[in-house]
Amino acid sequence: MFQQRLTARMSRRHVPALLTASALAFAAFTPMVFAQDSDTLVIARSMDVNSLDPARAFCDTCQIYLSSTYETLVTLAPDNQSLVPSLAASWDINPETTEFTFHLNPKAVFADGSPVEAKDVKWSFERLLNLKGSPSFLLDGMTSVEAVDAKTVKVTVTGPDSEFVNKISATYAAIINSDVAIEHGAVADASAATADTSENWFLENSAGSGPFTLAGYTPESELRFARNEAYYGTKSPFSTVVITQVQDAVSQAQALESGAVDIAMQIDPDTAASMSTTDVTTEVVPSFNFVYVAFSPGAATAEGVLTPEVREALALAIDYDGMLDFTVGGNGVKQSSPIPNGFPGTAGLPEPKQDIAKAKELLAAAGHPDGFTLSAVYPNDNVYGVDLNLMMQKVQQDWAAIGVTIDLQPQTYPVWRDQLTGDGIPVTAVYYAPDYYGSGQYVAYFAMTAGTPWAGRAGGKTPETVVNPAEANLYAKALASTGEASAAFYNQIGLEMIKDKIIIPLVSPNLVLAYKSDLAGVRYSACCNLPINEITRK
Amino acid sequence: MADLIDREPAATILVRPVFAAPEQHRRPSRGTVAWRLLRKLPPTALIGGVVILFWIICAATVQFWGLPDPLALAGKRLQEPSAAHWLGTDALARDVLSRTLYGARFSVPIAIAVVAAAVAIGSLLGAIAGYVGGWIDGLVMRAVDVTVSFPPILLAMTVSAALGPGLVNASIAMVIVWWPIYARLMRAQVLEVREREHVEAAVAGGAGSFRVLTKHIMPLCWTPTLVNATMDFGAVVLLAASLSFIGLGATPPSPEWGSMISEGASKFYNWWIAFGPGMAILSVVLACSFLGDGLRDLLDTKER
Repeated sequence: MFQQRLTARMSRRHVPALLTASALAFAAFTPMVFAQDSDTLVIARSMDVNSLDPARAFCDTCQIYLSSTYETLVTLAPDNQSLVPSLAASWDINPETTEFTFHLNPKAVFADGSPVEAKDVKWSFERLLNLKGSPSFLLDGMTSVEAVDAKTVKVTVTGPDSEFVNKISATYAAIINSDVAIEHGAVADASAATADTSENWFLENSAGSGPFTLAGYTPESELRFARNEAYYGTKSPFSTVVITQVQDAVSQAQALESGAVDIAMQIDPDTAASMSTTDVTTEVVPSFNFVYVAFSPGAATAEGVLTPEVREALALAIDYDGMLDFTVGGNGVKQSSPIPNGFPGTAGLPEPKQDIAKAKELLAAAGHPDGFTLSAVYPNDNVYGVDLNLMMQKVQQDWAAIGVTIDLQPQTYPVWRDQLTGDGIPVTAVYYAPDYYGSGQYVAYFAMTAGTPWAGRAGGKTPETVVNPAEANLYAKALASTGEASAAFYNQIGLEMIKDKIIIPLVSPNLVLAYKSDLAGVRYSACCNLPINEITRK
Repeated sequence: MADLIDREPAATILVRPVFAAPEQHRRPSRGTVAWRLLRKLPPTALIGGVVILFWIICAATVQFWGLPDPLALAGKRLQEPSAAHWLGTDALARDVLSRTLYGARFSVPIAIAVVAAAVAIGSLLGAIAGYVGGWIDGLVMRAVDVTVSFPPILLAMTVSAALGPGLVNASIAMVIVWWPIYARLMRAQVLEVREREHVEAAVAGGAGSFRVLTKHIMPLCWTPTLVNATMDFGAVVLLAASLSFIGLGATPPSPEWGSMISEGASKFYNWWIAFGPGMAILSVVLACSFLGDGLRDLLDTKER
């Protein structure tokens, strides 16, 4: 449509010109095609599906899909912290936290009616690890998984891992009906990464025990589920659930207001506040998502300028309160370290604060009394209600106050990713959402420990310049302990990561849940995003 | 005769008697001709001209108008239009009116530069192709065919994406999109004019190809180009805004109209953010269309 609007430039008369300019001025929106139906639940979302194979998928929409069509051994309770039984009715952990034994629910059956057995768990876990897909990191360190009997499965890991059960609550650790999947080319053994040919089959079929089954997927259009009539738990009142592709917050809000959809998932707080319909409920709840600025001192174009002192000065120059206001209209919270608020070890971490005078002092001491110029490349995206473009313009203004100029270069996600993993980007802005409840995932991703994604990006060709050995030691201790003791170690890691000044969290935006008032049970889940089976119509 | 042709531009010869005119019929000055033409323009074209003139003056002098800094905070974010902020403030609390007017400093020079470059390149290549003919004509016109076979926005997007975001790259992309139109226009005119007698006379008089082309043919070929260029000025503003809208043109925080509309689109309920730049684009495009139509009616004898 946009293209049509623009090709009108060939028209030489007033009316097309007028229409064209007006259309651009008032940015038109895609019309909705769905009618409201009490038996059908329609959800508006900008979908980011990369795959529908549990061992390959890695996206927010995938979390919703996988938690609806498959089940994990354990899942996250509505408090978003404690673990509750799902396919496993109970589990035992040895005192060293190296062996985990799960006892499967005897009633559990797959959508084709066959029972969920230990062999399926063994096969699914081995496949997840061996496929070396994006979510395979969840099972890093798993040495064996054995089917003790048809309903008991035992997992062994290399070293103590107090977070293992949390990790397998991530939707990607879904249990697949192995017989069906094998029939369609799925492979779980060591050759899986090359021998598995089932990805396309998974785009058209699901093979899980969840409350729904996949009824159809059309990329960039819709993802459709049908109720699993063989489901052994409480069945959903909806026979059909449709996730329909609606790109932006405003279009989602309009679809919701017009009754075309029941739930809109990515409405930002400003848009939510402007909605006027009375039969729509909007809840603003804290999320574990966050957006951050990251420095890569080892990037080719950073030219050695981003020393620890300079990074600290830049972090001190940011107006964190203003950032909250400008990015999400105050609907969010500040976040101290790369571990989101509410996760183990985050209590008591010092909040980031602006201190222009000290920032200038540090910059002068680092040999840049008049500042310097750097380029900032980031994805031109609007995520979790935060427009990264706006956020970076605020950062640009804040840094201008200490004489630092940044040249903003928003890019498409693939271009940005290529640069980040190529020569590196001195200053960037990105976002992160949890896969399960546990602080370990953040240490594994953000800590300056050799081998983590961000240590690699920040260090570039000289990773040793950014590695902080304390973090690896503390992480091992955190994994070897449980409860409060573990949280205390994560707290120390948090402090170390704050000191690193590589990842500067700016905002943890609140999440807007906007849905028709006749729905009940709509909630945000840290593992599963939107647990669809809990939703009912009043 | 040869002397006369060589001394005077062909265009002048056509409107002047060969023999010296009496004193009282002296050729009117250029100013007088312009004024007469201006008076013959339809009112819509005059309005268009005034609007374009406004934006050109705005682009040249807006920094002296005492407006708030278009990049600095101006109070609260997302304020509705008020006496203090006639078009409200955007999501970063910047004055939308100020940003809209400063936006002319991006759009107007880009439009002038792109149209000028496209006219220069296209007309030169078109004129050479039309005059010389043969394989040069074939080569140029096939290049034109290839370029116009792509939808303009798609080609501009591809070139911009390949070169990277930025207004300079977007301008290069737009010149690549636009030059073929002028090549075709100029070639068609040259093909027609080169058959006229005065050209044959010039050739017979021994004038070189370059001289014949530049002095005797091209001066008679500019009317369609001028009309088209006037209209394309608006189209370039629109395409530049479109490229910025999708993130391939201006980089933030430039108050470029397309990128402002893009910001406004994500804050749709705060309508005033996109209203200012939207109206600016509308006014330029419409003004160019009005003026272009007026000029065509005035200059193009075939349509009368």
